[in-house]
Amino acid sequence: MSYLFNRGIHPKDKKELTADLPFEVMSAPAKVYIPLCQHIGAPAKARVSVGDRVKAGTLIGEATGFISANVHSSVSGTVVAIEQRENAAGRKIDHIVIENDGLYEEEALPPLENPTKMDIFTRCYDAGIVGMGGATFPTHVKIQPKKPIHTLIINGAECEPYITADYRMMLEHPKEIVEGISYIKTVLGAQKVVIGIEDNKPKAIDAMQAAVAGTDITVQKLKTKYPQGGEKQLIHAVTKLKVPWTGLPADVGVIVVNVTTAFAVYEAIKLGKPSYTRFMTVSGKGIKRPANLIVRVGTPFEDVVDYLGHNDYVKAIVGGPMMGLSIANLNPVVAKGNSSLLLLDKSEEREIEPTPCINCGRCAMACPMRLIPMMTDRLILKDKIADSYKYHPQCCIECGCCAYVCPADRPLVQSQRLAKKLIKERMQ
Amino acid sequence: MKLQVSSSPHIGTKLTTQKIMGHVCIALLFPTIAGTVMFGIYSFVVVLVAAASAVLAEFLYNKITRQPLTVNDLSALVTGMILGLNLPPTAPLFVPIVGSFFAIMIVKMLFGGIGRNFANPAATARLFLVLSWTGFMTNYAAPVDYSQGFWKAFVSGFTKEYVTSATPLTALKGASGAVPESINLLDMFLGRIGGSIGEVCAVAIILGFIYLMIFKIIDWKLPVVYIAASAVAALVFYKNGWLFILPTLLSGGLLFAAVYMLTDYSTSPNTTIGRIIFAAGAGFLTVLFRRYSGMVGGVSFAIVLMNLTVPLLDRIIPKPFGYVKPKKEAARD
Repeated sequence: MSYLFNRGIHPKDKKELTADLPFEVMSAPAKVYIPLCQHIGAPAKARVSVGDRVKAGTLIGEATGFISANVHSSVSGTVVAIEQRENAAGRKIDHIVIENDGLYEEEALPPLENPTKMDIFTRCYDAGIVGMGGATFPTHVKIQPKKPIHTLIINGAECEPYITADYRMMLEHPKEIVEGISYIKTVLGAQKVVIGIEDNKPKAIDAMQAAVAGTDITVQKLKTKYPQGGEKQLIHAVTKLKVPWTGLPADVGVIVVNVTTAFAVYEAIKLGKPSYTRFMTVSGKGIKRPANLIVRVGTPFEDVVDYLGHNDYVKAIVGGPMMGLSIANLNPVVAKGNSSLLLLDKSEEREIEPTPCINCGRCAMACPMRLIPMMTDRLILKDKIADSYKYHPQCCIECGCCAYVCPADRPLVQSQRLAKKLIKERMQ
Repeated sequence: MKLQVSSSPHIGTKLTTQKIMGHVCIALLFPTIAGTVMFGIYSFVVVLVAAASAVLAEFLYNKITRQPLTVNDLSALVTGMILGLNLPPTAPLFVPIVGSFFAIMIVKMLFGGIGRNFANPAATARLFLVLSWTGFMTNYAAPVDYSQGFWKAFVSGFTKEYVTSATPLTALKGASGAVPESINLLDMFLGRIGGSIGEVCAVAIILGFIYLMIFKIIDWKLPVVYIAASAVAALVFYKNGWLFILPTLLSGGLLFAAVYMLTDYSTSPNTTIGRIIFAAGAGFLTVLFRRYSGMVGGVSFAIVLMNLTVPLLDRIIPKPFGYVKPKKEAARD
């Protein structure tokens, strides 16, 4: 039986472009630019200065504060500069520029055998592991919830169109993922572990099912529907528990971890390898040769595109087409949380020309959070902040279902964001 | 290379307002064709004139108020067609023209155009016409007799002696306890009865409903709840009510309104619970008006009346996913 949540949409998944392509290693460019902030929270502090020699895996940025993550070099070579560059979100942050000497000397942490809870936690912190699904929340914080956890859900839904990185990961490294899961489970003390995978990935379901044989981990087939991989939706689909609207998954005793994060945990503990490579999908009709790549963090997107070749394209997106960020140029670099880079051509991209709302209610029928986006849109554009508050825009997860289905092309996600911001500023 | 930068989502449905309205127009062709076959070519002219004058009215309104043209979204065409199909096949041509101008200019555009009008333009215009030209609006005709050759009858349409005000709806008026003998359910289902152009043929309306469902244009709950509520109301309001359920559903504009008028986006509530209350109320009122009011029909009145409750029904805001009641703050002493 397939499990699902309420509402949501069914976009074309377009995963056939890269689904059958095994990961290939892309060699690092002559210079890598490693951002000191690749996670949610405080940016890391540079620990190297210009002229220092580093190896792949050398700690170059140190976490500052509790919600922060370490940053490691992805190549061996010399630090040539520390400069400000724009990241994918358009924010100027410090990047450490390292000239690649092409030797790829590695500096690993000592591998751990039979680690204790504390060992695992410390290793996640040392290795700078963050949520690989895209939210980039530091993992060492996530696996230390203040509330008891009964269920650990491993997110293999990968509901965004185009992206196949998690899918390939499950096909190629199921055993390693399961080992990573077992470490996370030890830390959390969870009784139940469920791997949730959408039913449009039968091969991944089979692979994971074979890998979990003999353990108490179960694989749960989920109905293919967007946003099945949304944390609150996934928890509801798997456990029937509803995360309170203002709360976190830990409030209902559940933690959700992405499959690629589980793999990173495995690498950090078993191999002692810090988080400096990224498994990502590069796809879209704008790419000449779509592929699943293993890229070193700090590689500019431009080099990735040059490596695969490109056709005409009008839009570049970091992340999926539903929630990803469109970038103005290809200068930003691959960071830990980038599961994909998409170049869309004119036929794939949606041209938006907003027309008046016709009141059809499709947005309300699509919203997985049961909001009425059209009302927020109507009210917030007239600056009726208190009225729009009644429609709970602060619950919006920005999944984009409303704007996807809107026949009038209303910018519904933007108005939800605007309402969130104004409510925060003026009412709280 | 210049790249486009915009907020997520970057993909979306290909459906547009224009396409939705286009689908509704296609769905409206089913009753239009059925009505034309029943009453001859003149009834098609009535619908055509209504549709054309609705589009013209919106065009003129745009020009007069110097606003961008909105006729491309085809919603005026839909309103015009619905109004035309709501007229009797004998209506003189000034009736659809006046009706369409009233529907578009006064009911729709003055309140802000598409999506903003509070009452169904076609239903309101029909009421306006009934009150202004009661005679023209109740001159129904018996279906064309095709036994003397198809084309002649089709082109000449109804003749003077066929004009009558008797329809199954008038026959039902005042009846209770037993269904009048003139009621023939099969004729009503196929459309071989007197009535407005679009409302007579139940088969065509059901086909239109299926078409709209296939393309996911309308919410099935509105027509289904409306019809169910009408059936229940018939059961309650008539003596031996079960005999009256099918005659009630198949007479007058009930089915047509259920599929094409109640489902109007602007004038129906946004939420599922609101839609159910709205449709149930409209069904109840329709039969109540038919049974106890001085008027013969009740559909338009019921719809417009329930339209007025929509702003109220839209105050029902569903609780978001995972809603928990905020804890009451401890009472201060």
